[in-house]
Amino acid sequence: MVAGEDRDPVAQLRRGVAEPCVLALLRAGERYGFDLARELAGVGGLVAGEGTVYPLLARLRRRQLVETTWKESAQGPPRRYYRLTAKGKAELDAFVEQWQQFRSTVDAVLGGDR
Amino acid sequence: MSTRTDRVVADYLERLEDCLGTLPGATRRQLLEEIAEHIVEAREALDPEDEVGLLAILDALGDPEAIGEEALGAAPGTAPPRSDLFVPWLVLLGGFVFGVGWLVGIILLWSSATWRLRDKLLASLVVPGGLLFPVLLLGMGGAATTCTGSGGPGLLTVTHCTTHGFVLPLPLGIAVLLVTVLGPFLVAVHLDRVRRRA
Repeated sequence: MVAGEDRDPVAQLRRGVAEPCVLALLRAGERYGFDLARELAGVGGLVAGEGTVYPLLARLRRRQLVETTWKESAQGPPRRYYRLTAKGKAELDAFVEQWQQFRSTVDAVLGGDR
Repeated sequence: MSTRTDRVVADYLERLEDCLGTLPGATRRQLLEEIAEHIVEAREALDPEDEVGLLAILDALGDPEAIGEEALGAAPGTAPPRSDLFVPWLVLLGGFVFGVGWLVGIILLWSSATWRLRDKLLASLVVPGGLLFPVLLLGMGGAATTCTGSGGPGLLTVTHCTTHGFVLPLPLGIAVLLVTVLGPFLVAVHLDRVRRRA
């Protein structure tokens, strides 16, 4: 973390939501790590770069929110796929609910003087 | 067949490895493996000698430092120094290395951010010199008692006993010995546990 980032509330927020966003990307089904990294970095503003997605995935795996499987690919070496565990799904559902409440609270406060 | 572009990749992975120094071995290996796979995958769309394309891939991956920070979950520069590993043992046993080992341990202890003030105070005070302290105590405690009797047959015998050296009543002596042996052990274990949690 860069020194100035400590005081940047949006940067801190971003850190907090990156993990549930990865879980959300896996909701529809298993994904290849490479595609996850590209997509997450591609939406902009969520992660610092494609590379930082991998430590994030490692953390989710350690907490048993995601699991990996190897799959043969048409060309090249086998690929590591990530998928949501039951625990990960429960965590994601809980986050979505909290986020919706949180968002409307912050919106209400920010929009209060309008 | 190490080409120029392969060297660029190797340099990047090496820099990354340097940034992951304090991660547990298995986590570090898997992370390096995944990033390496990512680069291979991304390069499949490129000419192997396309250096500009490769640099764009590495740029999208981000600085090895940023990846390392994310992995370690800490600010750069706060990765604990490797010397932390030796501190608990230097504090415990360093005294036997001409007494200097303990001092080195204490200096490393106080200069590291891994331990809090109370850990530092505890380790410095319980007990100075580590296990050398009770060993010296034992050496001194081997007090000698000498008795001289005077007098002859039929006369009153007078015996003078004198004790030389540093003596504590036996139960107290045993208690002090136990505390000074167990204390440094428990403190070393505590320091090591704090280090592992850091």
